[in-house]
Parts: sequence; C-alpha cells; structure tokens
Amino acid sequence: MAYQVCVDTGGTFTDAVVADASGRLRVGKAATTPAQISRGVRAAIAVAAREMGQSPEQLLADTELLVYGTTAATNAIVTRRVARTALLATAGFEDILLFREGGKQGAHDFAAPFPKPYVARRHTFGVRERVDAEGGIVRPLDEEDLCATLRTIGERGFEAVAVCLLFSVVNPVYERRIGELASELLPGIPVTLSHQLLPILREFRRASATAINASLRPGMATHLADMERELRELGYQGPVLVSTSTGGCMEVPLLLEQPVHLVKSGPAMAPVAAREYTRRERATAVAPGETPIGEGRDLIVCDTGGTTFDVGMIRGGDLVRTRETWLGPRFTGELLSLSSVDVRSVGAGGGSIAWIDEGGLLRVGPQSAGSEPGPACYGRGGSDATVTDAALVAGYLPDEGLLGGSMPLDAPAAREAIGHLAESLGRSRPEAAHAVLHVAGESMITAIVDITVSEGLDPRDCVLVAGGGAAGLGIVAIARELGCSRVLLPRTASALSACGMQFSDIVFERGLGAFTTSKDFDHERVERALREVTSHLEAVEGSLHRKGEASAIELFVEARYEGQVWQLDVPVPRVQLSRGDVAELVRAFHDIHERVFSVRDEQSDLEFLTWSGRLTVTLPKPCPPPATGGDAQPRARQHRQAFFDGVGVVETALFDGQALAPGARIEGPAIIAEPTTTVVVPPRARALLTPGDAYLLHTGVVR
Amino acid sequence: MNEPKSPEGLRDPVLAAVLANRLDGIVREMTNTLLRSARSALINTGRDFSCAITTADNQLLAVAEGLPVHTFGSHLQTRAMTELHADLAEGDAFLHNDPYLGNTHPADQTVLVPIFVEDRHLFTACAKAHQADIGNSIPTTYHFGAKDVYEEGSVIFPCVRVQRDYQMVEDVVRMGMRRIRVPENWRGDLLAAIGAARTAERRLVELCERYGRETIATFVEDWLDYSESRMIQAIRALPEATLEARGAHDKVEPYLPEGIPLHVRVHVDPDEARITVDLRENIDCVAAGFNESEACAINNATTGIFNCLDPTTPRNSGSFRRIEVLLRENCVVGIPRFPRSCSIATTNVGDRLVNLVQRAFSDLGEGYGLAEGGVSLGAGAAVISGEDFRRGGSPYVNQLLIGGNGGPGGPHCDGWLTYGIPVVAGLMYADSIELDELRFPIRFEGIRLLPDTAGAGRHRGAPAMETSYRVREGRMVIVLISDGQHNAPRGVLGGRDGCLAETHVIADGDAEEKIPNFHLGVLDPSSVIRGRTNSGGGYGDPRARDPKLVLEDVLEGWESIERARDVYAVALQGRIEDETLGVDLPATEALRREGANPARPG
Repeated sequence: MAYQVCVDTGGTFTDAVVADASGRLRVGKAATTPAQISRGVRAAIAVAAREMGQSPEQLLADTELLVYGTTAATNAIVTRRVARTALLATAGFEDILLFREGGKQGAHDFAAPFPKPYVARRHTFGVRERVDAEGGIVRPLDEEDLCATLRTIGERGFEAVAVCLLFSVVNPVYERRIGELASELLPGIPVTLSHQLLPILREFRRASATAINASLRPGMATHLADMERELRELGYQGPVLVSTSTGGCMEVPLLLEQPVHLVKSGPAMAPVAAREYTRRERATAVAPGETPIGEGRDLIVCDTGGTTFDVGMIRGGDLVRTRETWLGPRFTGELLSLSSVDVRSVGAGGGSIAWIDEGGLLRVGPQSAGSEPGPACYGRGGSDATVTDAALVAGYLPDEGLLGGSMPLDAPAAREAIGHLAESLGRSRPEAAHAVLHVAGESMITAIVDITVSEGLDPRDCVLVAGGGAAGLGIVAIARELGCSRVLLPRTASALSACGMQFSDIVFERGLGAFTTSKDFDHERVERALREVTSHLEAVEGSLHRKGEASAIELFVEARYEGQVWQLDVPVPRVQLSRGDVAELVRAFHDIHERVFSVRDEQSDLEFLTWSGRLTVTLPKPCPPPATGGDAQPRARQHRQAFFDGVGVVETALFDGQALAPGARIEGPAIIAEPTTTVVVPPRARALLTPGDAYLLHTGVVR
Repeated sequence: MNEPKSPEGLRDPVLAAVLANRLDGIVREMTNTLLRSARSALINTGRDFSCAITTADNQLLAVAEGLPVHTFGSHLQTRAMTELHADLAEGDAFLHNDPYLGNTHPADQTVLVPIFVEDRHLFTACAKAHQADIGNSIPTTYHFGAKDVYEEGSVIFPCVRVQRDYQMVEDVVRMGMRRIRVPENWRGDLLAAIGAARTAERRLVELCERYGRETIATFVEDWLDYSESRMIQAIRALPEATLEARGAHDKVEPYLPEGIPLHVRVHVDPDEARITVDLRENIDCVAAGFNESEACAINNATTGIFNCLDPTTPRNSGSFRRIEVLLRENCVVGIPRFPRSCSIATTNVGDRLVNLVQRAFSDLGEGYGLAEGGVSLGAGAAVISGEDFRRGGSPYVNQLLIGGNGGPGGPHCDGWLTYGIPVVAGLMYADSIELDELRFPIRFEGIRLLPDTAGAGRHRGAPAMETSYRVREGRMVIVLISDGQHNAPRGVLGGRDGCLAETHVIADGDAEEKIPNFHLGVLDPSSVIRGRTNSGGGYGDPRARDPKLVLEDVLEGWESIERARDVYAVALQGRIEDETLGVDLPATEALRREGANPARPG
C-alpha cells in the first residue's frame, strides 16, 4: 500500500492530505505546533489516518512520497526572526534598501512612518568597485579594503552575507570574487550573490531578494533539516520534497541555497489544486447533460480564510506568474521579484469587522477580529459584527456550528452584534446581515478584478474555483457580480493548498541577462545565454534524487517596447533562434502587449532583457476513482429561514453534504453543510455534486 | 449660529459602497494600463501621471491613487471640453494641455475621452501625464525664464480632438511629431494615455449596463453628497480660526531678484463647516514661467488642507463644495493672464503654496497641521539631454527622479524619507540607477542620506539626500529649476527648520563651483555635479522627542551622538559597532531639565 502525503503547516493550522493507492484524498487538520513542527504534522496525519483505520506511523511507513509546505520563511521575514545579515553594495550606493523605489499609499496620509530597510544601514558595507552598463570596469575592485570589510563582518558576528553590486548581472566578475574571498575569510557563513539568485536589472529589486534570501539561509537550513529528521523519527523512509512559490516543489539541497523560494509557497499551491480539479471534471465528464469545463478554460482561484482572501489565476491551463510579490503592504512591505505564482491577498475574511462611517456608509474591514477573540458568534468575548456573524444571522450556517459540530456557535451574540448595525442602517437584521456579506464581497471582487485586469482578462470568460473554509458563503453572489456563470467548489476546499501539493511537479527556474533589440538582434549572445540556462537546468535535473515521469524545459524572455521599463514574458521556441523565430517572437509580443494594455505599437522596436528557462519534472498525480454511494435523490435534513437578495427571508432546505451521491442536483435556495465548509445556493442558482467530488454551482448568469 | 444645510443621507449605503469601489477599480485599471505601457521614464518609472473620472456636468468623481496636483482640477479641463465642443460624440478623444483653459501646466498633456451610454454623455475619462518633452524653446518642459508663452515655445493643444470615431486624427499627431523632441516617445505616450482612457470607457459602459443608467446617476449624486458630509464632519472637528502664513519662493537671477513673496489666509469655520483660503493678497503675474495656473492655485491650496484632515476623506467635487479658494485675475497664485507663462506652475510656487497652507494649520496648536516639506529640485531632478555616444549619437531628453527631499514632521510621525516635493508627497517612484545608466550616457557616483540634516523636532523632518553623477562621454545639457537654496522648509511648534539645498559642479582636480537654483549648463566627462536636497522641517520641540527614537536615529547613522545631546537633549552611552549603544536615562533627564535654556539650532 503506497501513500502520497502532503503537509501544509500554516500559522494556525496544519493541513495534511493523504492520497491512497486509488488516488482518493483524505484531509486531516490540526493545530500548528511551532516549538516542534512535527507534532502538528503527526496530529494532522493522524486525523486522516484514523479515517483509514491506521496509525500515523503505519501510514508514514507505507508512504512513498511526502511533500512539505511551510509558512516558516514567510513568518521569519514578517517577524524579522532571521539571521543577522550583512549587505555588501557598491560604494556610494549603500542606501539601496533604504531608498527602495519610492511610492507611498495615500497622498494625504502623514501618519504612516517610513519603512525600515530590510538590512539596517549599520549592517551595510560599501565595496570599492564599479562596473558600467555595458559591463566595462570603471573602478577595479579594491581587494584590500574588501578583505578588511569581510574580517569586520566576521568579528561583528554576522551570520549571513548578501552581495548586490551595480550591473553584476551584466558582468558578475566582482560578485564572484567576493564569493571566493568570503569563503576563505568567513568559512561557514552563507553568502548569497545577487547575479546568481536573480539576474535582473533594477538594483533595489535584486538587492531586496538577495538580502531576504541571505537572511533566511541559516534558519531555513535548520528548519528543513529538523523537519526531515523528525519525519524519519516518525518512520518515514521516502524522499521529501518541499513546495515553493513557483507553484511546484523542490528537493531540499537546492532550497538550502535559495530558501527565498519558500516564501508565500502555500498560497501558490491553491491554483495548482484548482487546475487539477477542473481537469478531473473533464475526465469524469461532469454529469449527464452538463457541458464540461472547457479545455484550457481560464480559472480564477479564490481561497477564503479567516483573515485573508487570496486570489490567483490559471490562464490557458498555465499558472499565472508575477515578478512583483509584496510581503506585507505594497510600498512598505518587502518586495520579492523572483518569478512566482501571482497570488494577491486582501485583508478580508470571516473575521472582517463591519462598521458604519461618519457619512453613514456601510464598511467591512480592514479591521479583523481574527481568530482571537474572533467573531461574536465564536463566544470568545468578541462583540464586533463580523462577516461570519452576518452569515449566521442570514441563516447560512448549520445549527450545530462549524467543523461538523465540533465548534458550536453563539447565535444570540451574533444577532446582538448585527442588531446594532441593523438599527443604524434602518433595516431588519437579516437585511443588515446580507448587506454585510454584500459589502464584504466587494473587496474580494476588487482583488479579483485587479488580477484579471493585469492579465488583460475578462472575468466573465472564466470559471471561478473556490476554496477555504468560508468559500461557500458568498461565492455565488461574487460570481454573479463578476458575470461568471459557473463556480467549482471541491469538497476538500478547506485544504486547497495542501491538495495542490498533491498535484505539483518539481519546478525550477533559471535566468540570465543578455540585452539585445529586435532591430539589432544579437543571435550569438542570446544563444550563449540560452545554452547556459539550459545546461544549468539540465545539471539541476541530473542532481535530483527523485526522477519524474517526464521532464521539459520551457524557455521565455522578458521583452518590452523600446523606452518602456516594464517587461512582459514571451515564450521562446528554441535555443538557436532563426530570423524567422525572432520575427515570430516580435509578433507574439505585440499580441501579448495588446491583450494586457489595450495597445500595440508595431512601429516600435523591442528590447529583450532576461532569457530564462523553467524546468518541470512531472510527478505522478493521484487520480481518484469517480465518487460513488450516497443519496442520489437529495433529501433535506431540515428546513430553515434564510435571507436572500431580492426575495427576503424564505424557507430554505439544508442538506447534509456527506449524504449526497454524485449527480445529485440541488436547486436554490438551499444550504449544503460539509464537515469543513458550507455551501450557500441562492435562489435561481443550482448545485450539482460531480463525480470528481466537487460542487459545480450554476449562478444563473447566462453567458 | 446658522445650522449649515446638511446633504441628504445615502439612499442606499450598501450599493454606494459597492459602486464607489467599482469606480476606484476603474481608475486603478487606467493607472495600471498607463504605467506599464508608457515610454518616457517620467511616466513609466516616475509615475508622474494621474487618472480621473468626471461626470458629464464636470464634477470630479473618482481619482484613486492620482497625484493631487494633477487630479484636483480635472473637472476644469472637462468643462473646457464640453464648452468648446458642441459636437461631442462617442469615439472622440481630446488632447488638452492648455493652462488657460483649466490645465495645470503645458507639460501635463491630458487625454479626455467623453463616455457615452445609450447615446448620452455620462462621464469623461481623464489621463494626464507629464511629458518628457513638449517642444519648448529649450530642452526642458520647465521653462522658468519664459517671459510669456511665445518665449516658452511649448506646443499648446487647447483641448484638441485627437480621435474621432476611435481613429487617430493624424494631422494633430503629425504637428506634434514635428515640434516635440524624441517624437516616437511622445507618440507612444499619447497612445498609452488613450489606451488608459478607453479602458475606463469600456468599464463604465459595462457598469451602466449592469446597474442601469438611472441607478448610476442616483449613486453619483449620493456619492458626492456623502463626500460632502464627510468633509463637514472633518471641518467641524477643527477649532474656529483665521490663520495666516507668509513665505517666499527663492530669488531667481536675473528674472526675480527679490524672489516671490507668498501669503495665504485660511479661515476655518466649523459652524458653517467651511474652509476658505484667500490667495488674493499676492503679487501680480510675473514675467517668467512661475505663475500658477488656475487649476494649480486651487489644487495646491486644497492639497494643503487635505494634508491636515482625516486622510480617508473622499477627494471629489462633493467634498470640495466645503472648500473655497479665493483667487484674483493676473495674480502669481491666481488666474494667469494670457500670455503670461505657467511653465513651472505645478512645482515651485505650487510647492510653497502647499507648504504654507499646511503650516498655517499648525497654528491651531499641537496635533494640527504639518511642518514644511523639502522643495528643492536639484541635481537628482535635473532635465538631462544630449546625444548618446553608444547609440550613434541618437538624442535623449529626460528628467531624472533620484534622491528627493525629506518630508515634513507631523503630529503623528517623522517625515517620509522619499518624499520628493510637496505636490507629490512621496507618491512618485524613483529611478533605478541601473536603468538610467542603461538608457542614458550617465554615470552616478553615489546617492546617500546626509546625517545630521533633518529638521529636528518631536517628530523630525526626514533628512536630506546627496546625489552626484557625470556624463560618460560627450556633453550633457543640464537644466535645473530648483528652489530651497535660500528659504529653508520651516519647522513648526518648536520644530527646527530643514536644511538648505545646494548644488555644485566639481571639475576634476579643480575647485567646486556653486550652481544657483535655476541653471542651464553643460557637463563634460571631466566634471561631476553634486546636489544636496532640503530636509523636512520638524514638528514640535526636539527635546520632547522619544529618546528611543533618537537612539534608533543614531544607531542608523541618521543623527550623530553630538546632535542627540545638543539638539534632542538625549545622552547615549555604549558603542554602535557592537550594538551596545543605549540611552543614558539619568543623564538624559538631567539634560532635559536644563531645557529652560534651549540649545542653539543645530
């Protein structure tokens, strides 16, 4: 019996998803145990194992692959519990991290302090050298001075070193030399060189990623080693892969050098899960009379938690990536410019607090009751009206509470909290509750629109895939506002990220700067760069212990119109580009530019900057059998009063999700209670339980 | 006491929240489109552009993240469009950079697209962007010395149609291409602005289809009323007062040997829930490019007010109903008389105006107003031009945006470090050194924070920065239009003034030559230009500053141990190198007890 186990250790909960030999997934949830991560991991696996009549140790002994996901890197950055890091920068430009790239939120807000640099000024050291834009040496490296600096770094007890010199991407000679000298003078202290980590121009972005990576190295090395050892102690024998922000996973040795890829790796897995779920719907042909979700259909992937709403995309079957990921608020948070899955987070969720401003406008958030004290209905002392309270008062939550009744809710407390709002709004309680859900949906709509807009996509052409514990409460209303006709909500939605890890491949990227233009295309230089990229990736593949079913390298280049400064990724067909290939590359760029920005300029030349490759080693994926059993003729467990837009309070059937059989159809208004999520089906919408073990919701929007 | 007329409440507070959010989303989408597709660095890295939506009856409705100096007057420009073009039709787009018709200054070319729903004009989308060049008689968009619009030489498009039926009016484009330097850049930026406005058109039409034209019209009315009521509440929270502030723009040889004295009188009337700014007691228009346009006079005074209110107060014609800016014709901060030049209306005098208004509010006492922010536009903000030796001598012209001024201290925190100037208040992006050096034959020597320069205060201003660079080969024309070398940004409520700006050119092995605020010069590879910006003014007594903040400043090299002691009255002990530096509390208390005799300004 061979299992595949994925574990996602979040800040609060650890999710485990176990796939058995038939491909069936089981979810286990437990509290995260920061002091010893493996305790929470074991507990989460135990929940899933119990369902299979096993102990976690037995299950792990029979597991052949374990994928581990962690928020440890993200948390380390946010709390600044990172290594004491020194930054080496070109003399005269030591303040790169302090100055950032400018920009500020709020033109009239003078109450926000200026953010501190990621590495303190007093921990930043100038290197006497200078390279120009073409890679020429303006000022030779002063090695004597450098060695003195390195010795100081050693004496002052630094644990990690980041190096970012101007134009090191064009000519890395001095960064390399610093690497050599540091390994002599600072043995055992990890050094991150910017040109190796992130070969892009824009010194702040490169320095920021380099400093963050350096600061994570000692801590993440310990974390990953401890985790691996503890898994072995639990009896796991097989290989360990770790999920990354590329939407894939990697073996531990490569991550020891580049732990920055661990940052925000959890949210990156939700789109991976969504892609697989929709694929499965095609494979199982949904149900008689249903149009399958089209091949390559664009997906909007939403993950609703207690405090944040994450949204990502699948475009034409591919993950959508970005080179601008903020950890924390835009402008004042930390910027990661490595290519990673584009997932935008907004502070909106079940805990968001509703209030009325001085002008009488109903607002929801950005304040959140979080999980402590949490919504009023949690009965932990919270009294503010939250989105979860609104859902309860609107009649959307089952009487027994959440998590199949293991978390009872305090209904009078919710009614009281919503009652205050209702009074100020001059509306009934259910109306006020619905209004809160409606306004809360707005910030989610904003996040969805923002991400589709930057891809030049129309949400109406997309299928929504919803995950997270609070996903089913308002998703149909949101889909209707966006004009989407269908929403897919997997039964395992509450652990979307951990599920995504079940379906991930080994992914690794490498890029090299080689500036050239379409007018004067430097075939030789580009070929050299692409060859180096390819051979690097082939070496990475060769070093892997875990071999896949297949592997591929996709090539792409960052290009822009002459004079622009923001690039778009364009696929590159091969290493050796013919004239025809270049012409095709140019055409492809015009198309992408028009799609994203509504304009094309065929008279303009193109500039090509960074040539990259992405290695994907395909891993086997669990392929569950079509779900069977249950009640084909759905019978309501009870009827209750619930409020819906346009019809007011109506009698609404509540179904027990676990009792339903694939093919079951439920017409709104209805509520389907699953152990870890609740699905609200408003009037004029209907739900279908698919053989792929997901609810397909028809919103009633005709497209 | 007259009870001011209160606007009606929101008819639907839920739908209003929804639609206000959608409008903001549309402006953000316009912004994203323009930012990413524009050509000149000022737009695509500097973010020196703004988008807005106005109603068909020319009320400013939504501005999202735009620069206040750009967006607050958009409705004046759309008014020109509706007044001049009776044949307004779907598919039109207009180009408007006329400061006598509601624009800010000629460099801010604005694309206006009237948006029709069911054949009725409902909204206008505005995309305004500062151009790299506008065909002035000298290679800068800031012609400070121009005695009139003829000497200035910019191509002025007085709200001219550039698209009809969604097709370019190529005649107009060709005119621009003949008169504007680096014409391909200009054309690319024009296309990007039109693309942004058309994006808004599509989205607004969809919004009206989704909710119905009538619902949207009701919402617009309610939203403006709601914004007004927010403003009423904000003003009622202030004490009644008449405030006055005087200041001056630096002297500019030979045009303005006395500088430009400036005066504002602000009347805060909480009973009437109204703020009036009187700018009429100022000198007449000057024979140089410094005159404020009407749009700038109004929006810079308004910016100063908004800087002192709850920052979530909506910014649109609804809240503006409670602000009155009194102007007179032919006044340097009023309504310019054609053909007096407004070439640099958005910055210099405009910056001083924002500063004066926000400083005036500090006279209400602790907790109100702001100190003054830095106003210099020295070496790091120079317009550079020349021929690039690496590209067969192809011409370039661009404004640098690097190492700006320190921001003002305020009631809640220290000044913002990458503040720029008062009219942009930190919103703009800075250039990347690497991208600038890739695109222009320039080499930076360094950019750094200058310790011990901040205007001290309970909340200090942000320190000054120093930027230095040279041309790699050939000659580079440098145009500077700075301020802040003679009149420093002022501190308030016991806070110290910020430092003065300075610019030098240092020839190899030669003495330094000091460069005035306003300068057109030529650099050759043997010389370096080095500029120091202003720091921001301080807010409140520096001896009341939290010693922990002073310690952090010293640890990070923003302030010296000596200044901590002499100016902030904080005694420190230990060493920075081994992180043992700490506050010596008894000694600090002793120093602060001596506070009856404040130390001399540092």
